[in-house]
Amino acid sequence: MAEKNPSFVLEKAGSVYYEDRPVPELKSPYDVLINVKFTGICGSDVHYWVDGAIGSFVVKQPMVLGHESSGIVHSVGSSVTSLKPGDRVAMEPGVPCRRCVRCKEGKYNLCAHMAFAATPPYDGTLAKYYSLPEDFCYKLPEHLSLEEGALVEPLSVGVHIVKQAAVRPGDSVIVFGAGPVGLLCCAVAKAFGASKIVTVDINEERMAFAQKYAATHAFRSQRESAADSGARLIRDCDLGLGADVIIDASGAEICIQTAIHALRVGGTYVQGGMGKNEITFPIMAMCTKELNVKGSFRYSSGDYQLAVDLLASGRISVKELITGKVSFKEAEKAFTDVKAGKGIKMLIEGVED
Amino acid sequence: MGQENLSFVLEKTGVVKFEDRPVPKLASDYDVLVNVKFTGICGSDVHYWQHGAIGSFIVKAPMVLGHESSGIITAVGDKVSTVKVGDRVAMEPGIPCRRCIRCKDGKYNLCVDMRFAATPPIDGTLAKYYTLPEDFCYKLPESVSLEEGALMEPLAVGVHITRQANIQPGQSVVVFGSGPVGLLCCAVAKAYGANKIVAVDINKERLDFAKSYAATDIVVSQRESAADSAARIIKDCDLGHGADVAIDASGAEPCIQAGIHVLRTGGTYVQAGMGKSDITFPIGAMGAKELNVKGSFRYSSGDYRTSVDLVTSGRVSVKELISNKVKFLDAETAFNDVKAAKGIKVLIEGVEDSA
Repeated sequence: MAEKNPSFVLEKAGSVYYEDRPVPELKSPYDVLINVKFTGICGSDVHYWVDGAIGSFVVKQPMVLGHESSGIVHSVGSSVTSLKPGDRVAMEPGVPCRRCVRCKEGKYNLCAHMAFAATPPYDGTLAKYYSLPEDFCYKLPEHLSLEEGALVEPLSVGVHIVKQAAVRPGDSVIVFGAGPVGLLCCAVAKAFGASKIVTVDINEERMAFAQKYAATHAFRSQRESAADSGARLIRDCDLGLGADVIIDASGAEICIQTAIHALRVGGTYVQGGMGKNEITFPIMAMCTKELNVKGSFRYSSGDYQLAVDLLASGRISVKELITGKVSFKEAEKAFTDVKAGKGIKMLIEGVED
Repeated sequence: MGQENLSFVLEKTGVVKFEDRPVPKLASDYDVLVNVKFTGICGSDVHYWQHGAIGSFIVKAPMVLGHESSGIITAVGDKVSTVKVGDRVAMEPGIPCRRCIRCKDGKYNLCVDMRFAATPPIDGTLAKYYTLPEDFCYKLPESVSLEEGALMEPLAVGVHITRQANIQPGQSVVVFGSGPVGLLCCAVAKAYGANKIVAVDINKERLDFAKSYAATDIVVSQRESAADSAARIIKDCDLGHGADVAIDASGAEPCIQAGIHVLRTGGTYVQAGMGKSDITFPIGAMGAKELNVKGSFRYSSGDYRTSVDLVTSGRVSVKELISNKVKFLDAETAFNDVKAAKGIKVLIEGVEDSA
């Protein structure tokens, strides 16, 4: 008997398996059914796989993994007007309630009832089919591949971070961490007109890539105090009185501390990376320098569309971030590779017909 | 020999003295000379007195103390047009350079070359006379006393904090610390339309005052984790998913942590209080809740004007914060009282006109 909807499932920490599940039904006339074609893997996917939890989100029952996907529309609900079967789309995997204060205020990423793919208890996109409301699907122009479409999700994370940072033309920006999100933040900052983009990482190879990709300067971390590191950053990269904007895409305590010291008075800091929940933080420097410090969580209104537009116009390229592709049946290998820090973005192909 | 400009000077850590100094000359045609009438004392004044430094600002030479003052104008430069001799004014004690990028960007409080009274090496206002540019003097209407005028400085601090927090009508605000700045933040938040203002402190007396003054709810700090403290504040004060705004006016680590936990997703936190330089901070919660966290430093364009307007219109009252007044020659007593946390605001009267 042919499988209907093969899915890649996390049973519990450390244990994954394939399972045939029912094809999802369209719950609303505004929904569409998508045949998933490519799915990228992110640190959070690996984290659920290894630990079975992130913070208060705990995997209590088997859950389909994956959330960074693109696909081809298979069928549409009766009220759908902007998509038709055959359309190639980037998939925005978090559906908010649309009714709560946060949603109506324009911050649906903070919706109390957010249903986000592969955040327990919601199933993810590593399956043959996935359903979404039409407004959470973004048509890809002809010249963008479905592979690139799978990078729209992490690119949207970068877009949201840079918008939180309010990067403006001429700004100097430092990005701590040259993993996928850090790299994409550099690219978006560049697209937003930053004139100086400094990449910081402990990994030489990643920094070299970042400089080729979007950064204007690279800064080598050393074993020194955060205050010294901040001062050296300012000196070595000619940052005058300090950087205008700093983004942390590492989650590492020393980076966060260094950032506060490397900013100019009145500068802006955005926490994108996730690491230890509690760190030692230079709060008086933040206070007396009157810094703007912001969290950044996923993406919100307009971010996905902007990500697609940035790709479509060629202002950002993501092809070079795709370092590997595996077939659906080799999904576990991709997770193992990402956990081992291999490459930048690994894509898992959709279920073969 | 008559004294020209009797001044209260910090000679070095722990040592204060009275000294007669020359009457300051007007450095510019836009400057005025003010006969200082009242000066309040703030934690930073006491800190310089006790420690001789705050951060990288070190007292290297004797320095006149004081910066929260009001006075009467006794002379004006040739180009002064907005004030005249005899005018009663609140004095904004920090003069920016007006030329650097921060000044031109509208954030003069962050001016690189800021000259702030009683921040080394700039002399303060605890003297008979002080000079200021006319635009840093704010005329007090008849209905506002010179004593209240001396409260404009800490009130401007509260206004700046509230504006950093972007408090909107109908919002809920939690203020940690019920010292003068915390109390004034409560008052300004109320004037800006917050409909729930929770004061948190370890001192019940201060909290009772806060409740009679501007807070709608009070919470006594207990020995518990920051997360528990926040949960308790949310529950006891009916804050729903969390407060819209949290202001720390204490500088205390457990308060800062509780401030982050007490906020709803998307809320705003402002650090006003000064304490330990480095603390354990719940950055995971800040990131996942997508909070806006801001520093707040002194005051900037429009804050002093707003302070005078708030008191003139009666939307904020500062009289009740004045717990004592001492004569100029008793200035050291006032410093001792503030150090011992007696009262809320102690004012030092200006130098008496005498032979």
